[in-house]
Amino acid sequence: MKKTHIVLLVLVVITISVIISVFLDFSTYETFASASKQPGKNIYVIGFLDKEKEMIYNQKEDPNHFTFYAKDKSGNLNKVVFNGEKPRDIEKSEQIVMMGYIDAGTFHCSRIQMKCPSKYKKDMVAVGSSS
Amino acid sequence: MDTQYLGEHLRPGQLGHFFVIISFVAALFSTFSYLRAVFTEKSNPLSSQSWLVMGRGGFVLHTASVIGIFSTLFYIIQNHLFEYHYAYEHSSLSLPPQYLLSCFWEGQQGSFMLWMFWHSVLGLVVMRTAKSLETRTMVIISFVQVILGTMILGFYFGGDIKIGSTPFMLLRHAMQGAPIFAMANYMDFIKDGNGLNVLLQNYWMVIHPPILFLGFALTLIPFAYSIAALWKGEYKDFIKPTIAWSLLNGAVLGTGIMMGGAWAYESLNFGGYWAWDPVENASLVPWLVLISGLHTILIYRATGRALPITIIFFILTHMLIWYSTFLTRTGILGKTSVHAFTGDGQALYYHLLVVMGVLLAISLGLLIWRWKGMPRIKTEEEGLSREFWMFIGSIVIFLASIQITVTTSIPVWAPLAKWISGKDFAPPTDVMAHYNGIQVFVAVIVGLLAATVIFMKYKNTDAKTLGKHLGITALIALVMSVLIGWGQHITMWQYDLMLFTSCYGIVATIYYGIMLQKFKFKKLGPTVAHLGFAAVLLGILLSSYNKHTITYNNTGVPFNADAEASKKSMDDNRENEVLSKGVPAIVGDFQATYIGDSDVAGKDRRVYYKVSFDRYDMQTKKVVEHFMLYPDAFINPKGMQGLSANPSTQHYWDHDIFTYITGAADKGREDTATYQRYLLSKPGDTITVKNGFLVYNGLGKVFTESRYVPVEGDLPVQAKLTFYSKFPDVPSRELNPLYILRDRKFITYLDDTLPSMGLYAHFANLIVKSQNEATAEVLIRQTEPIDDFIVLKALVFPYINVLWLGVIIMVFGFFISLGDLISRAGKKVMDAKA
Repeated sequence: MKKTHIVLLVLVVITISVIISVFLDFSTYETFASASKQPGKNIYVIGFLDKEKEMIYNQKEDPNHFTFYAKDKSGNLNKVVFNGEKPRDIEKSEQIVMMGYIDAGTFHCSRIQMKCPSKYKKDMVAVGSSS
Repeated sequence: MDTQYLGEHLRPGQLGHFFVIISFVAALFSTFSYLRAVFTEKSNPLSSQSWLVMGRGGFVLHTASVIGIFSTLFYIIQNHLFEYHYAYEHSSLSLPPQYLLSCFWEGQQGSFMLWMFWHSVLGLVVMRTAKSLETRTMVIISFVQVILGTMILGFYFGGDIKIGSTPFMLLRHAMQGAPIFAMANYMDFIKDGNGLNVLLQNYWMVIHPPILFLGFALTLIPFAYSIAALWKGEYKDFIKPTIAWSLLNGAVLGTGIMMGGAWAYESLNFGGYWAWDPVENASLVPWLVLISGLHTILIYRATGRALPITIIFFILTHMLIWYSTFLTRTGILGKTSVHAFTGDGQALYYHLLVVMGVLLAISLGLLIWRWKGMPRIKTEEEGLSREFWMFIGSIVIFLASIQITVTTSIPVWAPLAKWISGKDFAPPTDVMAHYNGIQVFVAVIVGLLAATVIFMKYKNTDAKTLGKHLGITALIALVMSVLIGWGQHITMWQYDLMLFTSCYGIVATIYYGIMLQKFKFKKLGPTVAHLGFAAVLLGILLSSYNKHTITYNNTGVPFNADAEASKKSMDDNRENEVLSKGVPAIVGDFQATYIGDSDVAGKDRRVYYKVSFDRYDMQTKKVVEHFMLYPDAFINPKGMQGLSANPSTQHYWDHDIFTYITGAADKGREDTATYQRYLLSKPGDTITVKNGFLVYNGLGKVFTESRYVPVEGDLPVQAKLTFYSKFPDVPSRELNPLYILRDRKFITYLDDTLPSMGLYAHFANLIVKSQNEATAEVLIRQTEPIDDFIVLKALVFPYINVLWLGVIIMVFGFFISLGDLISRAGKKVMDAKA
């Protein structure tokens, strides 16, 4: 066996093990219900802003605190606290992806991405990330 | 019945569409002719020659029509012909002229056209220089142009299936069924277009896309040469041009990628130059594979080894460009990327899948067909040879790009994984940590190899001399990295390793360039490129490791921090600080004071916020350093609420202070302030207002007031007031309301305002007591300036200049090598002629 082959073999083995290990690093999309089963663990929830419920954001008092209610895909409503500035145009979003964890029934999220409908049906992905 | 529409300009669209068709047919014709030229090469050289001439003609015509498409679309945008969807969607009347060209590449079709344009220009160069490989390379290039042509054809088959979309589509066709188009004179109502996304109104948008797309387009050439070599079954002639083109490609694509980083850093608030965002990765990965290919082809040139992998690398590089187009243009990344790209949906999705399938089938077919016959070297390489370690390095770079691709492509393979495992995979919650944690080791291995191999020789190296050189290098690097690591508090061991690697790289390349190469400029290319690479590593390490936020919000609602896992991300989000106007706040070593915003939105519709930064000497309480920053924002940009911010940065040689606005007081709020009455009888009378005071300077009769147009019989009187601010950086301002006695009968007023202070002055009455004595009754109103505030985020990036410098050095290295290669080729031609 050639030296090159041995080294290649080693590298391939390392790569495969790295790739398998990164799978553990990958997060998953959950619902509020499944997120509450693993409190404190960071996950993603895809949901929708509940426009009926109130949104609380006082820029002057604390620009890093935005509270709102969101429904997840299975229709469960949950309170969400976002510790960052209120994402622009969140009222118009038709879908939001929230990254965070459940603690005492509240979803604490540190990143939000929104999907907004643009004026002419075409989908536009807008940015609403705080970090 | 068809409506006869009024006020439309249909000619440019028809002309444009004509060019689209010509360019497509010409590319098809060129492909076919070149293909015939290849097939008749042996059997009928004469006929082959005439096919060749036709192929050239076809390609030249194709290039001309591509330029035609470009010019027509530019004409439409420049003349604001909003009856065309493209102009309506991407431009507007108020758009500054320098951004007219940027409208091109904001849209889907425009960027395909830019890509096509570069391909055709490069194709012309290849046509003139490829010689024995011309026919085959040009078949590939023309064929890819045919494929790109289908992207902008906009043909319908059977009503439902659409092939590509034309940039010359009319608005009424793009938005069929909208009630406005029932009116023949609908053009009277469409006054302005949607305009360019404000995020993109930036000079980077003018220069970055053309360079990045040139980088994308350049990958076609090494690809075409590799395919041509496979096809011909002859692997000699393609070496030199492939090396030259991939050097150029590496330089241009590398510049393009880092320009994207600089753009993000300088004018977008992504909070840095690199975020491992899928869109960034999608252009980094092809560059990495290209660099692998560039190194293996050098091995092949010197030793005859590594030919198959070289060809695979160059094929992959170009395929990855298509793949990244697929990732970024079809909207498949939707959930994972911060870049606002529009998804043109299903049609493009399948179109690109077919394209990738076809190109892959051609490449794979040829590879399998020629696999057995490719020249290989039977013997084993020496353990201390350059080729051995260079090969390992290339493979490591390639493996790194696989890892990046796997994570980036989560949205692509997630449906399959869900089907198998039932889990709905999402990107890592901390993307930066995920990539950095793995890629730091790649950086270490590649960095060490890149610096070491330049001391090695092909075939074999003398272990003793090598050991001596490397020993000295490593020793100096060790001292250097210990000093830097200590000074910069770099404590994580893997980053200490990376620090050593980059120091080692810098020391090794400088040592090699001076001691062994004796500064022979022509030969310095690889050394300089590797020096740049090491500097890039160092810059990345220093700027990212100690990047920190200096705006911390200590007020407000405490955030419940039970979950350890989220402590870091929680910290990430407490980084916005409220700066009330005129109230200093601590930002890092500075006292930051928000002074005010630009009175009116600037020409480009931005509002600039003045923030004064002052550093005090603790003992003497004196300002030792002062500077102003002007972060700006588009307030309520079209169709959006809130603001879209642009950063402002204070540069030092060793670090940057990077600030941007994340919020600002809403100025459009209802005004509840009322007028206060003041009687001013002698100069010097003072009125106290918020944030300062007004001093009365008496009455005036001389009018420099531009708003006042004198009328016969007028008796105008002016109350002269000067506003002095409490803050040192605000200049005093004049406030001169007018009181006008017209025809001795009635009175009119001309009020004066200071919008930045929210001050309104009204000269209500003039009470004349005697010849020299009069009292002015002035009403002053001030809206709540105390409510003026901004929310600021400030970050420090240490030693970021090392990164930019490294990139420049690296690109410079590529060009030295390229220059050397070209001058040697030129010399050879001269020698042959002599």
